Amino acid sequence: MINVISIILGKAIIFLSNTLNLGSGSTWPGHIALSINPNFIKDILRSHMESGKLKVIIIAGTNGKTTTGRLVTSIIRENGKTYLQNKAGANLINGLASAIIKGASIFSLARRDPGRLNQDYLIFESDENALPEVLQQTNPDYVIVLNLFRDQLDRYGEVNTIAKKWQKAFEKLDNKTVLILNTDDPQVSFLSKKTNAKVLFFGLDKTNGENKLKHGADSIYCPKCFHMLDFTEVHFSHLGSWSCTNCNLKRPKPDLSNLSYYPLPGTYNKYNSLAAALFAKAEKISSKKVKKAFKSFTPAFGRQEKIKYKGRYVQLFLSKNPTSFNESLSTVKELGGKNFLLVLNDRIPDGLDVSWIWDINFEEILDKNFNITVAGDRCYDMGLRLKYAEFFTHIEPDLRKALDHAVENISSEQVLYILPNYSSMLEIRKILTGRKIL
Amino acid sequence: MKNKSSKYTLDVKRYSLTIGWLYPELMNTYGDRGNITVLMKRCQWRGIKAEVKHLNPGFSISELKKCDLLLMGGAQDKQQEIVNKDLKRVKAPLSEMIEKATPGLYVCGGFQFLGKYYKEADGNIIEGLGIFDLYTENPGKNHPRLIGDIVINPMFELGHKPEAISQKQVVVGFENHGGRTHLGKNIKPLGKVLKGFGNNGKDGFEGAVYKNSFGTYLHGPILPKNSHFADYLLHLALDQKYKDFELKDLDDSLEWQAHDSALDKIS
Repeated sequence: MINVISIILGKAIIFLSNTLNLGSGSTWPGHIALSINPNFIKDILRSHMESGKLKVIIIAGTNGKTTTGRLVTSIIRENGKTYLQNKAGANLINGLASAIIKGASIFSLARRDPGRLNQDYLIFESDENALPEVLQQTNPDYVIVLNLFRDQLDRYGEVNTIAKKWQKAFEKLDNKTVLILNTDDPQVSFLSKKTNAKVLFFGLDKTNGENKLKHGADSIYCPKCFHMLDFTEVHFSHLGSWSCTNCNLKRPKPDLSNLSYYPLPGTYNKYNSLAAALFAKAEKISSKKVKKAFKSFTPAFGRQEKIKYKGRYVQLFLSKNPTSFNESLSTVKELGGKNFLLVLNDRIPDGLDVSWIWDINFEEILDKNFNITVAGDRCYDMGLRLKYAEFFTHIEPDLRKALDHAVENISSEQVLYILPNYSSMLEIRKILTGRKIL
Repeated sequence: MKNKSSKYTLDVKRYSLTIGWLYPELMNTYGDRGNITVLMKRCQWRGIKAEVKHLNPGFSISELKKCDLLLMGGAQDKQQEIVNKDLKRVKAPLSEMIEKATPGLYVCGGFQFLGKYYKEADGNIIEGLGIFDLYTENPGKNHPRLIGDIVINPMFELGHKPEAISQKQVVVGFENHGGRTHLGKNIKPLGKVLKGFGNNGKDGFEGAVYKNSFGTYLHGPILPKNSHFADYLLHLALDQKYKDFELKDLDDSLEWQAHDSALDKIS
């Protein structure tokens, strides 16, 4: 009964927040439900999971959660099934509870069937720190782990600290859960070692990748014996074909490593696509349906999203840590792009420390033929970074002015590539589309 | 506002500087590479030939001795274990260089290693090199890490031309450390904390200075936004190598803009 009250209350908050445009409907309802009953999520999910009607999918990793979530939902839709999903950015446990409240059927409440969820799947993108609790609360059917990179060190701590926490949480999973792991990431792959869950691996086949680690690779030590790993192939950062000469631990062979069609450019999106396709394989959804879903795929907001502004096309590449920034630069270069607007903020969702911009490999990836405009709260930091990379840069603290300047300086057939971090992406999107999304 | 990348000076490179980067692959978690980039470019832009030696575990002592300026950054725990082992091997020559006043910048983990010991959150004690008269203790899981923007006022005159930087003395950065460092009698702090936590969040001091070696918790990384500190290190190193060396001025308007905007944000 107490959960019914929470759901009714939560739904009222969502309604009010939507009507009044308060923008807090994706976390508050869950927050209240959990303070009334800390096991709210467990209680609601239990009956559904026992009947096998609802399947829970958790998506984790530093980069690519939102895109992978969107790829998974596109496959589910193509397969004629329904789903419930947390709202973008609401990645903590209260976001999960809020998603459940939003999805719960009102009619079932009247029948004293608290929190009946009529969907086939519940998909949750989990924050790195929240993952252990999310796993404990949901006992999921699938856990997709994409990668683990340095990100917001002031908030998340170091990569090894998170890996340790995850390892412990994965040990508690039982064989009901299927893990879908990136075998090319040593720490992620190692999560398969001490768990009773079933394991499936995705990874990349030989590409024209390099065999040398570049600056900024994080997990270059054996997760088992801490010896330095050998890489015969590196796709980017520390993702590749790795092995340990000391304890003989090596990259497990992937169950899926190739697709005939990728919906988005960039090596990082190959990984996201493989993860989603491997989930489909485990669910016995045909590869034909996967391909069809991918063919009609449109990117999530800010993730290679293309928007027309003042007669020019701009494309947003969310770039929030050294690895995602490097991959965005490489992808734009492959696409033949020449014009950049880089936007750097240091607000709460971005992390307060901007030291990481010195780990971006501007010098190696770009040459002098790029036009670069810099904006955001920390535009002088980014400008300084580029000065020391010896790039000619236009610095403009005002985002709207910077955008207009950058757009005015390209021809109609050119694209302006915008690389913002999280809060600046929301800000620039508001200017581009004229409305707020979060 | 335009920021033109400075042109190389095509002078005959009479002067040269060798920078020793201690454990670049292991101790580079917080953008520490930026400090190296800044020192290199600021030499090159003045026509000084600059070279970086990457001193990875097992490096040769003779390579270390060729260095005019040393740098070491911070790292994750696992990496620090490997580094600590290797540092024991090079303790004698490294101590000798520091005692002979070879300039050096030691950030976060590097700073802690030069002290007497580091007590981990679980009580385990890791022995340091004992070159700096200080020790560091992690008070345990119930005490928060000291994280945030920081401003310090160095307790000595920074810069090769003190009169030119008197009003721009302060150093800005970002700190993120669990350990609390306490200085002994035989070492001086780098500066007074104006905003932020500093060595231990209590005594109001930040970092340490011993001869020409500087320890600090400041990331950011520290040198790009504090070009006066970068030049001070270069000045010390070049002055020791070539008597009465004078550094040419560079156009640092962007550096100061970044410095001042960080300062505005904090205060």
